Amino acid sequence: MKKILLPSILIILGYGFWVSPDFKVIAAGVAIFLFGMLSLEEGFKAFSGGTLEKILQKSTDKLYKSIGFGMLATTVMQSSSLVSVLTISFLGAGLIGLAQGIGIVFGANIGTTTGAWLVAGFGLKVKISAYAMPMLVFGVILIFQKAKSLKGIGYILAGLGFLFLGIHYMKDGFEAFKNAIDLSSYAVGGLKGLFIFTGIGIFATVVMQSSHATLVLIITALSVGQISYENALALAIGANVGTTITAILGAMSSNIVGKQLAGAHLIFNVVTGLIAIVFMNQIMFSVDYFSSVVGIAADDYTLKLAVFHTIFNVIGVLVMVPFIGKLVHFLEAFLKVDSSKTNAGYDTARYLNDSVLELPATSMAAILRETKHLYDNAFEVITHGLNLKRSNIISTMPLDEVIKDSYAQNSINIDDFYNRKVKGIYGEIIDFSAKAQSNMTAEDIEVLYKLKLANRDLVEAVKDTKHLQKNLIKYTQSTNDHIREQYNAIRRDLAELLRNINIVATTDEEDVILLLLSKTKVHTEKYDILANGTLDNLIRNSLITNEMATSLMNDSAYAYDIGKNLIAMAEVTFSDLKGDGDNLNEEMLMSDEEVKTFLEKKDD
Amino acid sequence: MRAKKFIKGVKAFLRLGDYKVEGKKKAIKDLLKKLSRRKIVVKKMLEGSLEKGRKKELKEELEILTLEIKKGKKILYKLYAKTNLKEGITNGK
Repeated sequence: MKKILLPSILIILGYGFWVSPDFKVIAAGVAIFLFGMLSLEEGFKAFSGGTLEKILQKSTDKLYKSIGFGMLATTVMQSSSLVSVLTISFLGAGLIGLAQGIGIVFGANIGTTTGAWLVAGFGLKVKISAYAMPMLVFGVILIFQKAKSLKGIGYILAGLGFLFLGIHYMKDGFEAFKNAIDLSSYAVGGLKGLFIFTGIGIFATVVMQSSHATLVLIITALSVGQISYENALALAIGANVGTTITAILGAMSSNIVGKQLAGAHLIFNVVTGLIAIVFMNQIMFSVDYFSSVVGIAADDYTLKLAVFHTIFNVIGVLVMVPFIGKLVHFLEAFLKVDSSKTNAGYDTARYLNDSVLELPATSMAAILRETKHLYDNAFEVITHGLNLKRSNIISTMPLDEVIKDSYAQNSINIDDFYNRKVKGIYGEIIDFSAKAQSNMTAEDIEVLYKLKLANRDLVEAVKDTKHLQKNLIKYTQSTNDHIREQYNAIRRDLAELLRNINIVATTDEEDVILLLLSKTKVHTEKYDILANGTLDNLIRNSLITNEMATSLMNDSAYAYDIGKNLIAMAEVTFSDLKGDGDNLNEEMLMSDEEVKTFLEKKDD
Repeated sequence: MRAKKFIKGVKAFLRLGDYKVEGKKKAIKDLLKKLSRRKIVVKKMLEGSLEKGRKKELKEELEILTLEIKKGKKILYKLYAKTNLKEGITNGK
């Protein structure tokens, strides 16, 4: 399809330029306008490193807030496509849920109507090209600055400049075009016209991938009388449906939730378009009524088009809001994760997809979530490797009983667990981190490095469990009470550690996290049976054989490493509660030196 | 150079540059409050009659809490010193 579409468009455009120089001006206006949109998007992305995410997380906990956020963000950025793509990115990273995402998309549909108001009310009435020139000059100068914020302002200014310039050329082109060909003679009335022009609106928006650009084109053509008012309304409906293509394309590289959101966007815009077509006469009547109330002249069709655009989008939101819950259920049932992969027992990454690479913040959030996913799997592997039941660990069951209730009689195949539940995800995290790193600042890269280390710690902990497992199974079934007791002590200590880390992973209380991590750090230091004299005592009194002693010494070192690795992982993964990268707990946690001093004081 | 001084002045006036430090101060203060509250609870629990193991556990918790509170206060003082120093520079002291 792409292979045919692109050359066809290029040929049509080339022919158009050859036949009509005025058409060339209009097309150049559209091209400049679209370039302005790209520049504007680039500028807003520069400011999305943290602020946008924080606002998003705080302002989407309720539906009305999500809608408000979508409205406001689109009004400011003048691009519903950018808001949709960013929303897909946030969804992909797991920062927001599907219902919240749908709310934002609904709001974006209302927010996008401000574009028509701006162009119809300001763009056509003022000579905006006069504003465009200084904006372009200042914008380009700022783009060349090193500071990220200045660069961002530069892109926004240049973007606005190009938008204004584009509108100016479109307007000029249509005015000149009017003298050569009268497009209004091709106007088609009635239902037939409605469908034909809706189709043209969809096609134009799919090609330009911007409903905003289509609308500006419609408004400028309408302002010089090149299209009829009725046909312009149909084109606006088409533009609304066609704009979903951007979200659909954006969702192709996203995970399943991103695809579900694109589905919601398509359903919403198609339903809204159908409502507008079915109730066209009634909506046109309400446009006339509203226009007369606010003082818009009866023949000011460009502003009336803006009113129409707003009314039918607001109606769409009002009609669809009660069905958001059902829409979510439908999409979740209709668009599901490919079960063939999970059936094979191989777990894969859930949050890492190209759509989250849009912003460094979403990439980071996705990697953090994936690390937590990896932790969940590693937790299961380690627990079973220690012959413990996961359900017992996360319960309040006394630890002595936890170690008595074994997971299996024989050792489990840790290699198999590792291959199915850890290795693949770990590989994906490392691969994705390398891709994400290219868009990050030095500060972000430092945080990412810590996250990569946390992942490595998890994998090391799993590998240490594998080494530990062999003797653990052997000696916990030994007839020698002393060695059995020692190995059960190792299991007990690690069960306590896993329980504490599970609490750290699931609580929101900062003081609990801090206390438990510090406590676990102190306890882990006690695992060293060589240092605490346990081993010497057992050998001196001939309570265990030399072979047992060697095994115990090695295995207590493995247990110590498991503890150290898991704590190091938890410090990075779970102690940044606010998710702002300003890891307070990291500073507050006891350092290794402090732990040593603490233990020395206790011994005294 | 003048422009830099002007921007610094505006930033100081609007307290724009310190928002990170201010945020950190607030976060540490909140955390210290929580830790102190927990310390009081642990102390009260220790006053009652407890089984030996539990008592040992709580004592250790109390020691860790004391250490954390001390550490938190130290960080907070450092942050206050940083802000005061900055304000002093901006005011030309």
